[in-house]
Amino acid sequence: MNPQLILLIAFGGAFLTYIFGKISSKLRDGAAVAISLALVAIFACLYGRRLQESFYWGFLGLNLSFRLDAVSWFFAIAIVSLGALSIIFSLRYMRDRERTDFYYSMMLMVNAAMLGIVLSSDLISFYIFWEMMSWCTFLLISYNQHRALDAGMKYIIMSIIGSVAMLAGILSLYVSFDTLLIPQIASSLATASPGYVLFVLVIFGIAFGIKNAIMPLHTWLPDSYAEAPSPFTAVLSGMLTRMGVYGFLLITYVVGGMIGGTGLGSNVLKFNYVLAWLGALTIVVPTFIAMLQNDAKQLLAWHGIGQGGYMVLGIGFGVATANSLALAGGIFHTLNYAICIVLLFMSVAAVQYRTGGVRDLNSLGGLVARMPVAFVGALLGISGLIGLPLTNGFVSKWMMYKALILEGHPFLAFAALIGTWGTILSVYKFLHNMYLGQLPEKYKHLEKSPFSMQLPIAVLSSAVVLFGILPGIPLRVINKICTWLGFSSLDVTIWGFTSETGTLNTMNLLAAIVVVSAVVWVLFHRAAKSVVVAQDDNYAAGAYVPKDKYHYTAGFYEPLFTMLRPYLRDVVDEFYTALAGSVRKSCGAVRRIYTGDVGSYVTYIILFLASLILVQLRWRPW
Amino acid sequence: MVGRILQFVLYPLVALAIGVFFLGLARKITARIQWRYGPPLVQPVIDMIRFFYQKSVSHGPVFAVGLIMSLAGSIVVVLFLPFGSICPLSGSGGLLVVLYVMLLAPMGIALSGGQGANPNISIGISRKLILALGYEVPFLLVLLTVMTHYNTISIVQVVEAQRDIGWSIASLPLFLSGVSYLLILPAMLGFRPFDVSTAPQEISSGPLVEYGGKYLLMATIEHALLLFIDIALFVNLFLGGAGNPITFFVKMLIVFVLVLFIHAAFPRLRIEQAIRYLWKWPTALALAGLIIVTIGRS
Amino acid sequence: MVNPVLLIVVPLGFAFLIPILSLLSKKIAKYIPPIPLCFNIVVSLLLLPRALENPVVVSIGGWQPGFSINLVAGPVGILLSAIVAFVGLLVSIYAVDYIREGATDRYHMLFLLLLTGATGVVLTGDIFNLFVFFEILCISSYALVAYAGDKAGIESAVKYLIQGAVGSSLLLIGIGLLYGLFGTLNMADIAKALQSPTSLPVFVPMALIISGLGVEAAMFPLNGWLPDAHSSAPSPVSAILSGIAIEVGLYAIARVVFTIFGLSIDSTSNFLMFLAVLGILTLLVGEMCALGQNNIKRMLAYSSIGQMGLILFALAMASSYAVAGGLFQLVSHTLAKALLFLTVGYMTYRTHSLDISALAGIGKRMPITSLAFTIGAFSLIGLPPFAGFPSKLLIVRAALATKECLFFVLIGGALLGTVIEAAYFFRVVQVLYFKDGNTNIARKQVPAVALIPIVIFVILIVGIGIYPKFITGLLNSAAAELLNRVDYIRNVLG
Repeated sequence: MNPQLILLIAFGGAFLTYIFGKISSKLRDGAAVAISLALVAIFACLYGRRLQESFYWGFLGLNLSFRLDAVSWFFAIAIVSLGALSIIFSLRYMRDRERTDFYYSMMLMVNAAMLGIVLSSDLISFYIFWEMMSWCTFLLISYNQHRALDAGMKYIIMSIIGSVAMLAGILSLYVSFDTLLIPQIASSLATASPGYVLFVLVIFGIAFGIKNAIMPLHTWLPDSYAEAPSPFTAVLSGMLTRMGVYGFLLITYVVGGMIGGTGLGSNVLKFNYVLAWLGALTIVVPTFIAMLQNDAKQLLAWHGIGQGGYMVLGIGFGVATANSLALAGGIFHTLNYAICIVLLFMSVAAVQYRTGGVRDLNSLGGLVARMPVAFVGALLGISGLIGLPLTNGFVSKWMMYKALILEGHPFLAFAALIGTWGTILSVYKFLHNMYLGQLPEKYKHLEKSPFSMQLPIAVLSSAVVLFGILPGIPLRVINKICTWLGFSSLDVTIWGFTSETGTLNTMNLLAAIVVVSAVVWVLFHRAAKSVVVAQDDNYAAGAYVPKDKYHYTAGFYEPLFTMLRPYLRDVVDEFYTALAGSVRKSCGAVRRIYTGDVGSYVTYIILFLASLILVQLRWRPW
Repeated sequence: MVGRILQFVLYPLVALAIGVFFLGLARKITARIQWRYGPPLVQPVIDMIRFFYQKSVSHGPVFAVGLIMSLAGSIVVVLFLPFGSICPLSGSGGLLVVLYVMLLAPMGIALSGGQGANPNISIGISRKLILALGYEVPFLLVLLTVMTHYNTISIVQVVEAQRDIGWSIASLPLFLSGVSYLLILPAMLGFRPFDVSTAPQEISSGPLVEYGGKYLLMATIEHALLLFIDIALFVNLFLGGAGNPITFFVKMLIVFVLVLFIHAAFPRLRIEQAIRYLWKWPTALALAGLIIVTIGRS
Repeated sequence: MVNPVLLIVVPLGFAFLIPILSLLSKKIAKYIPPIPLCFNIVVSLLLLPRALENPVVVSIGGWQPGFSINLVAGPVGILLSAIVAFVGLLVSIYAVDYIREGATDRYHMLFLLLLTGATGVVLTGDIFNLFVFFEILCISSYALVAYAGDKAGIESAVKYLIQGAVGSSLLLIGIGLLYGLFGTLNMADIAKALQSPTSLPVFVPMALIISGLGVEAAMFPLNGWLPDAHSSAPSPVSAILSGIAIEVGLYAIARVVFTIFGLSIDSTSNFLMFLAVLGILTLLVGEMCALGQNNIKRMLAYSSIGQMGLILFALAMASSYAVAGGLFQLVSHTLAKALLFLTVGYMTYRTHSLDISALAGIGKRMPITSLAFTIGAFSLIGLPPFAGFPSKLLIVRAALATKECLFFVLIGGALLGTVIEAAYFFRVVQVLYFKDGNTNIARKQVPAVALIPIVIFVILIVGIGIYPKFITGLLNSAAAELLNRVDYIRNVLG
């Protein structure tokens, strides 16, 4: 299985889908699903293999090459599986929309570009695929028109700023070391000066920080997630933004992987330390801003920023203190978060599909009775996000907390823990306002989600529970990533870890919970029977509960908001908007140089010539 | 082996008994302070038996599932806490697991109450969650202080360390944390002045309003276990645990009676007042404790 | 072996043939320009292998190189004349349908004259000959700008004429001063005799020549004519002006600076640094002005100013990497800008308005044209996999390789310019595809004869973007020839 074939299937598939779409929409749907599933199958078969070969010789004197190892495989399998599930979900969701050929081919192209990013073994192909991913994302975000246009512009401008920073970094590496192959750069950087290493870290850090939405570079994210089409938002939040995490892992390898975790220079450690603190900040503030949101997708989007902070905290802290547990926790959290957030966005999309695009939390409610599968998906998604035991989020968070506490950084642990509570509050509001509470009259006859939407939700829900009970399955691969980066290996068993400072054994937990639940259930059933009553047959101290009027959703946490709202303004966004405004004003001012009057233009010419001659005459600088 | 199984089975029952006893004690002592006779000490038991045989209404499957999940979570947490020398699940993750499994209880009630479709329930749950956020800030700081000070995440190891050094609450940095924990204990237990989430006169008991019969039985058991869990955690972390269950029970009793004195004398705080209080002095004390411990360790 | 003179003579001859033939039939004029341009392409390709080994030097009239006017067809000359001919060919095919009103025969004659002038500028080895061909180029372009006959066009043309005339006068004075100093008009001869380019008697002609050529090459304070001229001209004329005329002006500056005056990074890097700073200044001013525009053609015109600044910066770095990058950027800008103006031509024709907001929804009605516009825009910003990416890559690499702090700052400015460029181009792409527009406009594609050049441009941009190897060999030799003064003198004078 050579890399050219994989790229050909991925990119060629995108084009083919567009062309098929011109012939027949069913053909195009089938082609899109077939291609994405084919890619999943290919990567499933490639488990455990290592590849390194060039696939294009002589791009401006550079060879582009491919690499498959633990970290590439880990991200690649996540990308293709989540992509395939999103495309299956889109089959019904996008059925009656316009421009669907463009949509499917762009989804496949984004997938292909992400695959290219994680499989590239030299920085030029990394950059090429990164840029392709960026402009494909821009086009897809703008798909919904109107407000999505501003969201798309904000996204692409910030993304391009990150990309030009990365370009400067890549080319400076090329100029210094005359190669762009990652393993070779890694060994050369081992002997470079600490100041240069810091420069490389910072400049790549800006690019990856913008993509991963670390504070204060996060402002593009909420609007982009909210306005993009929902199945694409799932891919965007699950994997695309996490390309920033992949970038951080890559740059950590480049800067220190060859030396091993203990031999890193002090600049590298300081950088990662700062990164960990930025991650902690990113956890706390956005998670609380999420509580204030009334739009379901904006709420989940702010969580996207917050959970990204967990990943960066884990990775930064793990590198800064040579702690594989934190590093593995951060990487595992990337996978877990991806699964949970795709699940959540799919359940929001399911509700949007049936209610005609409604995602305002103040007007939904009680949908558990009408859309049970979507409810279960949302429930498991938020459980994973919170980290309830027996879900995958619990394991990754446990790993990070333990590492933070035992390494003596309780404030970082506090930030992470209070982030969990912020998450609990905001996702409960999400779940309650959408699925619990009273069912409005107009939704009393809502149909269930179609099968092609239920299937991905079911698959992802089972993944949440499976990885929570048997975390060893992904942890084995993550362990290999830790050793690739030069850190010590972890004692991974199929259900957790063993170590002398405290073990995690999910099997015990599962057994305890299952047995106890069984006992309680038996008790429950031995008690007297209960009668199921209608929703409006409720206790209201003797008063009658009118329909559609007493659903408590708006201002769900109003007492808390009145206290916290002044502190939860997004000052960074206001700052950037002001900056953009002043740039536009200065551009307007610069334009006035071109006065339109030919006399002034001729004056410019003569003045230019005169000043050239005068300067040379007087000061002779040239 | 048989001993282990016996521990697994008897320990929750004993915890339940203690919790139910505390429920009865609460009403009796409060009544006495307020110059009333109060119901008999075994009133909660009588109530629970009655609930078992009473018919009830249900609002759907989630109504039951949420409650079962909540009660199961509480029982599992009990299994993680050392009670004297008994601790069945000591080696499976320590204090972090306890913190997280403790989440199952309020989330379960929130889930089940959600299908209740009564606005009082929703208001009660929102207040409960806000209050939880309020006391979690100092609570997490306190737990982090303890974990950092003893450099472990296992409760059993904290208890053993106290056997050598002495009670945590007697040592300087942890004294502040201990006082902070005491200050937030009424909020964690849902006693006045922090019973705003149930607020019987205001929102008809909040999340509990639609429960009757076996549902109310589950909720009562869960409340009883919650009393046990929070106070037992405090005793283990700050009052040195105990070598045998009897001493442990006595320590719990003393703490509980202290809480009751406050409960009997204070009125109810509004939720904003509650949060403002919780984020002021208890947080300040807990933060001070954490800073001292961190500086001391580095 | 084909004589490079044919590259100039044949289009010139056909240009004067057009008025004669149009006495017979008015309609025949528009089919004539493709013929000599095809011929030029073929001849350039035939000359290419020879030119890569050694520049082909031809003396007109058989006189000795010292006295005669000679043509030097080296790699850079052949490259640029091939591009001139190729782009000219495609635009003339486009103009077959686009130019319908007015004196079409005069349009096509002036068009051929412009291209002849451009070819002459890139091939000549004599500085006064450079001036002559340069004037042919400029005067044709003044007239072509006014072709539409409307008030805006005539006003812009007059302004262009005045500024161009000032520039040409400065150029002529500079050439005169050089002749007075060295007694010869042959570039190689002057180069041999000229020792120190920055001594005052030599600096003054250099400043004059650079200012004079700089007017046409759109350098910063001198380019006031460009926004008006390029936006008021008919679209094929804008394509040729933005795509060829200003590039040729920049080539002329490069030839003068490197070959005649011999500035190089070893000895006279200060003045080159000044030119580099000027280039970045041009870039930033151009991009910033483009950001606020609502008129699509004016926006594209300011964008041309910006790109010229970038090319000037690259050339001023004067290392072989940098000059190759600058030439690559020149090629990719020519292709992309010509494509953009051609597509915009029909889009504005359909909407009867030059406003960007009037372009809303064109993506649905003219899908191929909009796709071409998008590809051209992406290429100009420098996104992979289009032609603009390898060229920007080369320039940034060259800047970082100089290891001078000033160039790091300047390339930072260039990257900032890229961000601003992205802002306004992406906005237009959004308006094209994602804004609902006037539904009165029927869905009609552009006529086939205009579609062919557009599609060919798209294929080239994507092809060069994916396989830059097509032209990098030629660009490297061209860069070497431009920078290597000693070899040039030896080749010409023997």
